[in-house]
Amino acid sequence: MASIILITLKGIFRDRVFQGIMVTALAFLLIPVIASLSMRQVTELSLTLSLSMISFILLLLSVFLGGTSLWKDIERRYTSSVLGLPLSRQRYLLGRFGGTALFVMIAAVVLGAAAFAVVLYSSAIYPPERPVIWSTMGLCILFDALKYILLIAVAFFFSTVSTSFFLPVFGTISIFLAGGVTQQVYEYLRSPASKSLSPVVKQIAAGLYYLLPNFGAFDFKVNAIYGLPLHVEGLLLTLAYFVVYVGILLSISAAIFIRREMR
Amino acid sequence: MNAIQITGLYKQFSGKRMKKIDALKGLDLEIAPGEVFGFLGPNGAGKSTTIKLMMGLLRPTAGAAKIMGMDAGQTESRRSVGYLPENPAFYDYLGAEEYIAFVGSQFRMGKSLLARRSEEVLKRLELWDARKRPMRGYSKGMVQRVGLAQALVHDPDVYILDEPMSGLDPIGRALVKDIILDLKRRGKCVFFSTHITDDVEKVCDRVGVIVKGTLVALDRVENILRSGVEGYLIHLKMPETESFSFGGIELFRRTDSVSEYYVPCSAFNGFMGEVNRTGTDVLLVETKRRDLEDFFLALVKSAQGA
Repeated sequence: MASIILITLKGIFRDRVFQGIMVTALAFLLIPVIASLSMRQVTELSLTLSLSMISFILLLLSVFLGGTSLWKDIERRYTSSVLGLPLSRQRYLLGRFGGTALFVMIAAVVLGAAAFAVVLYSSAIYPPERPVIWSTMGLCILFDALKYILLIAVAFFFSTVSTSFFLPVFGTISIFLAGGVTQQVYEYLRSPASKSLSPVVKQIAAGLYYLLPNFGAFDFKVNAIYGLPLHVEGLLLTLAYFVVYVGILLSISAAIFIRREMR
Repeated sequence: MNAIQITGLYKQFSGKRMKKIDALKGLDLEIAPGEVFGFLGPNGAGKSTTIKLMMGLLRPTAGAAKIMGMDAGQTESRRSVGYLPENPAFYDYLGAEEYIAFVGSQFRMGKSLLARRSEEVLKRLELWDARKRPMRGYSKGMVQRVGLAQALVHDPDVYILDEPMSGLDPIGRALVKDIILDLKRRGKCVFFSTHITDDVEKVCDRVGVIVKGTLVALDRVENILRSGVEGYLIHLKMPETESFSFGGIELFRRTDSVSEYYVPCSAFNGFMGEVNRTGTDVLLVETKRRDLEDFFLALVKSAQGA
């Protein structure tokens, strides 16, 4: 499987995706300037902009790399060659997923380093009221990367059932949008404000809450920006959620992919 | 144990509006180790479907294919196979050498063995100079040769090649024929599909002809060629002024002192008896037969008409 991961990484690097990220990362240079326009809370704004930019770049990578990796292999008939080798479809799928996920993690590290530099510079020039907790910022970026790895698993799942790239790409975007609000919807359903809703709607919404990935659970931006403490139990629970959800998604994807006919 | 064993292999595809299409109708085939088998058929006959079923890329509707005794659905069955897909495509951001290394790693080849074999096959297929260039810059023929190189690198016992000569120039085709003949000498089993009869005639031990998903012929190449003998063109040395008929066979053509007679198989013995009796010199006996292409075309025509 390591060789498939390596091949996947080579493909991404040689398609100049990484260079694209580096060019985009140049925008980090503008963050201190833009943040200084706020006159106050410059560091907090630098943090907000940096984390949002990382999140946006990782989102693009997850949707387009995750949504097209498998589809491209099938479309260009690379799978006919690769699956003719003594390589099981599960290993192939996991290798492609692993390579894409690893690249997203590498991108998160590189962009995270740029974000650290930006926030360090801003906090040195405009010292914040509350000190920046670097470990929280690091964990925030790490969990953001995990969120997008989960999104890649969603994209791979769609790729195994689809013959075009529409479902993997647009389906993944839809799931991302829906998964970002499930927590709020769930909390609304449990609040007195939802009394007017019919029980059927409530049950459907609750069902979707459990079915769709809960991306809100991975969001620690507020903690990073305002230096709020993180709870270890919350982090471990999110980590366990990530492992279980990705595990289930990849298992279903593998089960579908094994049955898929490579015409 | 057969190198390849196909039993009652049946494949049905779902077409438009859920229409069922029978791509393969109960194929039975046994290929022995060391045998070179040509799988002939017109476009859409079911050749590639059969090969994809053998490689586990498709799942049979019924029946089974086994390679070296292992079910084709099992990943391990491919460990003893070198497979060249039809119109192959490989990760085009890799160079040929990198791709061969990747293939070798899937077959768990040791580093030194892989390096040696990789060099051998890349040189043999004339890819050595281009080995480091990304394959996206390769011509169609070069990609086809990479396909052959990756099938050969781990030196398996069974080769399954889907249209191996496709996209190659005459030099490339001759090279592939040489490679197949070399594999034959080394006791390897080669199963290859083609619709070019000349390829089969030159390198195969046996040939199977498939039309509309059904195997319509299966025989040794020499048997087919022998059964296709229709008669003989016999060159006799005779004075220009003389003109004979032998056994009722009239002169076909005369060039200077050489007279040519076209003799059907059934009249051959009688004709030669009379020639001997008259003491006429026989210069040449040419066998006139239908070649494999005629045999193939006749079969396809009759199967398609059925």
